[in-house]
Amino acid sequence: MARKLFDICWQIVFLWLVFRCGVWLVGALNLSLPGNVAGMLIMFALLASGIVKPGLIEAGSGFLLKHFAFFFIPISVGLISFGGLMRQSGLELLVILIVSALVGAAVTGTAVQQLQQRRDR
Amino acid sequence: MSGVLLFSFFVVITVTCYLATRKLFLTYRHPLLNPVFLSTVAIITMLKGTGLGLDDYRPAKEVMTYLLGPATVALALPLYHNRMVLREHMLPVMAGVMAGSLATMAAALGAGRLLQLDTTVLTSLGPKSVTVPIAVEISRLAGGDASLTAAFVVATGMIGSIMGPSLLSLCRVQSPVARGLALGTVSHGQGTAVALLESETAGAMGGVAMAIAAVFTALVAPYYLPLFLQ
Repeated sequence: MARKLFDICWQIVFLWLVFRCGVWLVGALNLSLPGNVAGMLIMFALLASGIVKPGLIEAGSGFLLKHFAFFFIPISVGLISFGGLMRQSGLELLVILIVSALVGAAVTGTAVQQLQQRRDR
Repeated sequence: MSGVLLFSFFVVITVTCYLATRKLFLTYRHPLLNPVFLSTVAIITMLKGTGLGLDDYRPAKEVMTYLLGPATVALALPLYHNRMVLREHMLPVMAGVMAGSLATMAAALGAGRLLQLDTTVLTSLGPKSVTVPIAVEISRLAGGDASLTAAFVVATGMIGSIMGPSLLSLCRVQSPVARGLALGTVSHGQGTAVALLESETAGAMGGVAMAIAAVFTALVAPYYLPLFLQ
């Protein structure tokens, strides 16, 4: 238990360092890419090249991903400042969200299925 | 109330809400019992009820969201575990995810402009199909609002995971690869969770789609979103 907790802690520190590297890199190269995406790509490269073994970040990553949703709660509370917008255009926004989600799902789904059928033929 | 006390109070409330709603969701597994949605409603109601505002909540928020950066980096791990599936279906994955991401953004921003929403709201709608930490950053870089985007992302996740599977069946999309990719592209983690319930392949593809859609959207958003904002 203590061992697991220790692993989670230092692995999160390691993930944090990779995150900071991503933020730094994006700033240094003046990219219009979010720093956390750069950090994720760096981490993937480290794993794919075998420099970092997956086991090295398993405990920390598992913990963060298991409770991923937690982090969105404090962010969503910021919605409190948009009461007016929700009362005024809440319904329009809901329609937009539904229509655009369905369009996206239909496009990806049918495109992939067509491509697969063409390949299998 | 003093600062430290208020801060601790908000952290305890947020963690408690999360754990309670998570338990509720895991017990009943209904998509409407979304822990983020329920907890947010509870905390906003509490803030309104006590007359406290966002400024009081902000210090606690800053600390609690601090681990979101490393959590995003952790997403590399599931992508790495699915690298074989990715390699095997490279073309359909890339083409499908890119087409879906562009289509959903175009539909949202096109409809939003038609309904004359203001620029901040439109910009915040742009990255709504992407996982929250990345969507929030894309939105911030493009001039949108982080909490609006977060709300759109969570709502899109719920919409896609509730309506997505029936729509795909209606469009006669049966391939688990295609269904998983479609759900992951549009509804990120929440879509992936539903795909995982359909089959293991669909779940793996959902995870891959979620990662690719996030990176792709982050790359194209600075050039693509302005097309709809002029």
